[in-house]
Amino acid sequence: MTSWHIVFAVVLVYLAANLVVGLLPSRRSSDTVAGYVAGDRGFGTVVMFFVTGASVYSAFAFLGGPGWAFSRGAAAFYILGYGVLGIAPYFALGPWAARLGRKHGYVTQGAMLAHRFQNRWVAFTAGIVSVIAMVPYVALQMRGAGIVLEQVTDGNIPLPLGAAMAYGVVLIYVWRSGVMGVGWTNVFQGVFMLVIAWVLGIYIPLRLYGGVGPMFEQIAAARPEMLTVPGLTAAGDPWTPVGYSSAIIVSAIGLMMWPHLFMKAFAAKDDATIRRTVMLFPLFQLFLLPLFLVGFAGVLYSSAPSDPDAIMPHIILNSGLPAVVVGLFCAGALAASMSTGDALVHGAASIAVTDVYGSVRTRSLSQHDQRRLIRWLALVVGVLAYAIALQSGLSLVAMLLAAYGAIVQLAPSVYAAFLWRRASAHGVIAGLLVGISVTGALLVMPHWKPWGIHEGLVGLAAHIATLVVVSLATPPPPDTHVSEWLSTSRAGD
Amino acid sequence: MKRAAVMIAFAYFIAMGFAVTFPGIRPFNTIEPLVFGIPFVFAWVLSWVAGSTLVFFLLYRAYNE
Repeated sequence: MTSWHIVFAVVLVYLAANLVVGLLPSRRSSDTVAGYVAGDRGFGTVVMFFVTGASVYSAFAFLGGPGWAFSRGAAAFYILGYGVLGIAPYFALGPWAARLGRKHGYVTQGAMLAHRFQNRWVAFTAGIVSVIAMVPYVALQMRGAGIVLEQVTDGNIPLPLGAAMAYGVVLIYVWRSGVMGVGWTNVFQGVFMLVIAWVLGIYIPLRLYGGVGPMFEQIAAARPEMLTVPGLTAAGDPWTPVGYSSAIIVSAIGLMMWPHLFMKAFAAKDDATIRRTVMLFPLFQLFLLPLFLVGFAGVLYSSAPSDPDAIMPHIILNSGLPAVVVGLFCAGALAASMSTGDALVHGAASIAVTDVYGSVRTRSLSQHDQRRLIRWLALVVGVLAYAIALQSGLSLVAMLLAAYGAIVQLAPSVYAAFLWRRASAHGVIAGLLVGISVTGALLVMPHWKPWGIHEGLVGLAAHIATLVVVSLATPPPPDTHVSEWLSTSRAGD
Repeated sequence: MKRAAVMIAFAYFIAMGFAVTFPGIRPFNTIEPLVFGIPFVFAWVLSWVAGSTLVFFLLYRAYNE
């Protein structure tokens, strides 16, 4: 048995364990949409904590984090900077949304907004924006899983096969168990990725440099530009302070707008559960520290790979670790990928059915039929994302940035719903369309971007201006409805 | 109690927003002195993250007494 066989065996054991954890709860939720999408609103703190933490930190954090630290140095600190800022508003927004969800039965953001603005096209537009952003994000996770497996098995498991194996498991438990499968596997995957990250992050600098301090002293002597912000760009030139700062701002505003994260408010057992989740989130986030340490450990290695996403596997493979440990690392990376990918597949399918299809269908579907449709859609999302993931030469970092630019556009709608009585359905829809168009145009024509500001932020400015102007020119929903809606959201604050 | 906690949280996160982006981060953007072996600016961002745990704890206590 050669070493890649051992690595692969560890990965197979990990995938099998995932399948078991994912399939166990399949009988525990009701045969309704609320059961499949929101777990009958029964998630406790442990599940909520890991669903949130493990869904936020994906293959991008596990591979991209060290990759950025390795190739762009302190630029990676932006990932550390935005997490807490992004989740803080959820301390208020989460319970507000949850109370409305309990009373009115929503399981998605789109349904919540459509009811608030009394217009189903709000759900339709928000739903389309969400799905457009989520599918490439799933593709990114699949590619991450495939890259790791290919690297650690010396190419014996090629990217398409590795991605298909990991996501085959995901699709099976999402199909069978819905959000309950996502929840319990995320507990398993979350613990796994935290432990692996901390163990490797302490061990590797110790082994290669004799400790964290000596490591940074050597980097400071050889490449000091790597250790102060804003760090470097992907091309190795200095990054701009504006680019660095606007990346933090866009990501912080966008973070909890991701539907697969926001809609977990509808799955939480009670308000205190959501608040505890927010309170504990920084503890999860600190796992970026060991991941960055692994990336920095590679800086002084001349033999490093040209693809920064492969740095983490490269360092692991070249530090003489036993094959079992390499296998565990690989499983940790798969855990990071799958814990985000499963929530995205499940969330995108739920939105496509309840918000997009639900807004245009002519006859009503039974709960059972809707649930079945969501399952099929999850399969479609998986296959679509897989097709995108296999396109070589596609820049996945660019896709992630594009996805963030799109998803951040949900923020004005959500905040207007809770904070601005005068906002109207037309204003919200017009704002979404303008925001997406401006962001998309700047993505295609990056030289139009003023002062290197993130395109999502420019789109956001255009979005807010449109929302305000159109809202003031069109009638808001009836005052009694808005008052009732707002007082439900605040009841118990 | 609730009001005070919310005010503190608002102040903290706005301050953090300035402290981890430009130009607020500039005075702290140095490698030396290393803090527990970590470059100073890295430790600076980390400590804002760690500090948020306290602020969230305060908020949580205020809301769930």
